[in-house]
Amino acid sequence: MTRLLEPFQYAFMNQAMIIAALIGAVCAVLSCYLVLKGWSLMGDAVSHAVLPGIVIAYIVGAPLSLGAFIAGLVCAGSTGWIKAHSRIKEDTVMGIVFTGLFALGLVMFTKVQTDVHLNHILFGSLLGIERHDMIQATVTAVITLIVMIALRKDLLLFCFDPNHAGAVGLNTTFLHYLMLSVLSATIVAALQAVGIILTVAMLITPGCIAYLLTDRFNRMLIIAVISAVFSAVVGTYLSYFINGATGSCIVLTQALIFIGAMLFAPKNGLLAQRLLSFQLVAATDSPVKNSTKALLRR
Amino acid sequence: MIDHLLTPFHYEYMVKAMLVSAIIGGVCACLSCFVTLKGWSLMGDALSHAIVPGVSIAYLAGLPFALGAFVSGICAAMCMSFVKNKTRIREDAVIGIVFTTFFAAGVLMISLFPSNINLKSIVFGNILGIANADIVQMLAISAVTMGVIALKWKDLLLFSFDPNHARAIGLNVKILQVMLLTLLAATAVAALQAVGACLVVAMLVTPGATAYLLTDRFGRMMIIAMVMGTITSFIGAYASYFLNGSTGGCIVVLQTSLFLIALFLAPKHGVIASRLKSRASISAFIRDAEPTSIPTGAISQ
Repeated sequence: MTRLLEPFQYAFMNQAMIIAALIGAVCAVLSCYLVLKGWSLMGDAVSHAVLPGIVIAYIVGAPLSLGAFIAGLVCAGSTGWIKAHSRIKEDTVMGIVFTGLFALGLVMFTKVQTDVHLNHILFGSLLGIERHDMIQATVTAVITLIVMIALRKDLLLFCFDPNHAGAVGLNTTFLHYLMLSVLSATIVAALQAVGIILTVAMLITPGCIAYLLTDRFNRMLIIAVISAVFSAVVGTYLSYFINGATGSCIVLTQALIFIGAMLFAPKNGLLAQRLLSFQLVAATDSPVKNSTKALLRR
Repeated sequence: MIDHLLTPFHYEYMVKAMLVSAIIGGVCACLSCFVTLKGWSLMGDALSHAIVPGVSIAYLAGLPFALGAFVSGICAAMCMSFVKNKTRIREDAVIGIVFTTFFAAGVLMISLFPSNINLKSIVFGNILGIANADIVQMLAISAVTMGVIALKWKDLLLFSFDPNHARAIGLNVKILQVMLLTLLAATAVAALQAVGACLVVAMLVTPGATAYLLTDRFGRMMIIAMVMGTITSFIGAYASYFLNGSTGGCIVVLQTSLFLIALFLAPKHGVIASRLKSRASISAFIRDAEPTSIPTGAISQ
């Protein structure tokens, strides 16, 4: 029993769990919108593209998160511009832009001696998180949450059906850039705390888990947040015992929950669907409905 | 001056790195034409991250790393198609979930069994320190990939452009899909050593997209892409000696710059050309309309 409670006795473990849960919750709220909008991989692109911003900010002595935020916006903005002005598909443009920016950052990074550790940016250092990163992450998280909840209905309509949102008089351009800014800000805050891999996963998986489990958006938000917080705590807790990378443990916990949801979701799960199709076949097992049965068999 | 510029060629490891990068660059560029047409860019990204657990298992078990990487890439592709077919989640989200999970599993494994695998060399590539055995593996992968493309390029082209048409004329679309995925995974494995997991996708996308801006014919597109891929990889590796920077980064920065140049200056599909064209057609329209009814003053405002 004491062995099981051991992780909670260390301040750094508690801190890691709290910060991972907080960032997980914010990313989970965002991920619901991203999943509906089809922007899941935007998180991946933006989180790689912030690297040159960080290096430039370091050179000129600006706050690193400002540089990262601007680089993220440049990535999202230029992806949109190139897509609108050429005949190349959006996913290809995204691939070109973010790898180009990442490579630029990498070259600059090796050229400039910095005390920012690339490993920390990429893989996160949840257990060794510094105080100012923590404060920054908390502030960003709270602002993001407030914006997302205050504009919940507008953003939801914008994600589901931008044309309708425009028709009812919402400013869709504003919403578009608002979402990109919120996304970039969240990624910047999350990156320094938990690293790229975990950020990308946190921006996709909770939304998908919730999407499998419910058809109502409010419930989807709640389920996503709960699953993210749960996996943040459980993942960090497990990583203490197996002595493995914390971020990876959290991602894998989320993946397990996703698999569970995929199999056992009450309506959209694989088992439920199979049962449903059995019931359909059984229901048609009467002479009256023979034709339907034949149809089903075919 | 000249002596200084020639110094990289005096080192055997630099010459090796430049030649190997050039070959990989060419092969990736060839495949990138299909990837661009098919819209599989993010698949390349996903596969290149998803091969990391395979690499770590292979190192732990003492198997050739290309084998492990390839198997785990194929597993990831199968997981993606399974989840996509069985749930209502969109393809991009499925790709995201699967590759982050695989990548996380790889990182976890490396952190659990600290061995001589350097995570950094997987993520950023390490062409300057490549072992001869790895060069042989890569050359074999490149040769097989080029061979398959040379034999089947017409089928693959039709499949990339229009899978329905390909099915209608009796091609086995399933096999073609698996074939293209396999080639993609194999080249991603080869390119991993040169530029690292994060930048493989650039090698598999940028040359094809650049060539697509420059020409409308597939044969020419392939030639342009391959020339570009080979030269940029060679020069990138060469430049990294002077910049003392990451080889992968240099190669990809070069490729992206060429893409940007093509984006603006391409003769037919470039931004400037199409702006000029639209301006020309507007003025032609105004000229045609002038003599009839619209007063000139209204238009010049």
